[in-house]
Amino acid sequence: MRKNGGDMEIALDVPQPRLRAVPAEPAPDPAPPGEVSDADLLARVGDRDREAFEILYGRYVRPVFSLALRRLGDRGHAEDAVQEAFAAIWRSASTYRPERGAAGGWLYTVARNAIVDRLRRNGPSADAELPELSSGEPGPAQQAEDSFVSWRVHRALEELQPREREVIELAYWSGMSQSEVAEYLGVPLGTVKTRTRSGLARLASVLEGELQ
Amino acid sequence: MNREPNFDELIGAETPGAERERLRGVHELLVQAGPPPELTPQLEKAPGFGVARLQSRRVVKRRALVLLAATVAIAGVFAAGFAVADDHGSSTSAARTARTLQLAGTSLAPQAHATLEVWHSHAGNWPMTLTVSGLPKLPTHTYYEVYLVRDGKPWGSCGTFRVDGSSRLSLTLNAPYSLRKGDSWVVTRPGAGGQEPGNTVLRPVSA
Repeated sequence: MRKNGGDMEIALDVPQPRLRAVPAEPAPDPAPPGEVSDADLLARVGDRDREAFEILYGRYVRPVFSLALRRLGDRGHAEDAVQEAFAAIWRSASTYRPERGAAGGWLYTVARNAIVDRLRRNGPSADAELPELSSGEPGPAQQAEDSFVSWRVHRALEELQPREREVIELAYWSGMSQSEVAEYLGVPLGTVKTRTRSGLARLASVLEGELQ
Repeated sequence: MNREPNFDELIGAETPGAERERLRGVHELLVQAGPPPELTPQLEKAPGFGVARLQSRRVVKRRALVLLAATVAIAGVFAAGFAVADDHGSSTSAARTARTLQLAGTSLAPQAHATLEVWHSHAGNWPMTLTVSGLPKLPTHTYYEVYLVRDGKPWGSCGTFRVDGSSRLSLTLNAPYSLRKGDSWVVTRPGAGGQEPGNTVLRPVSA
């Protein structure tokens, strides 16, 4: 990859989740066999490949939006931050160096920096929208870890087959029991259980770094 | 959500030790992460950078003017159509429709889509026709509900319906409210504990 003279190197500063073993070598991107890895997509985006950018956008728009919503607490500001984050990715992709870390971590850092910039630009009124930390709430380190876990999990969900993802999302976040999910989808309960297990197993493979 | 998923219930007893612990780790991460947010229509498509920025301001301005002219022309045609309909009782669909929305399924019903045609008001009622497909059948005694959305929030119910698994269904509903500019509609299904409004399954797509 080339480096544009005017672009800045972006330092990796990714919080380490509790369950994640820090790899000695750059972590592989969670790309299933046959799919282009995030690192390859970033290289192509660095060459101004619009198609690669759209694929990368599809993989990361939810994690970036989720991160922005957590930090900014407002959908309008979060939408703006997502646009700014992807503009920064488009501009800076050529500065990504695979030997310095996984593409997902680099993207997380770029997105987080864009969100923090938006937070600062919004000024005190926007800061006031953030909930005050009380003694019962997680501290900044814990919040950072939670944000990174959400980032990885939401990114990993994009790798599931649509049927697996549907069942996982309904089972975890709709409030329905598995029997209700089965009735809702019009499939046997056994099918719901099978898809849940295979979805969790696929997520485990994608998130392997965090589970070691 | 009120109810946290139970790992043993989700997985059953068949999965053995090591694999079971591996899946339990994922389960805990899913619980910790919470649900991914629903994307707003503005975020559905990747933004355009680079090529668009290379276009001269003059080209952009000229395209904007052409677009504006086209919009004015289309609006004029519609206005003329409404006038003719009011004067002569035309029964054409375009003239009777006050607004038509295309709705797309959310992650809770990704295969679903619908068209909502809102007709001109009569005696304070805004009758509407919802043509929907791809919604799954709901459990007994639960219903889909069409909600008027105002200022970004569900504001009032426009009726409930069920589906039977047929490929396409057309229903007549009503909004007995004073509609405002910016009003929109969503379709929901009951959430946990049956609270209202429930979870959105169909929402408008951007033009």
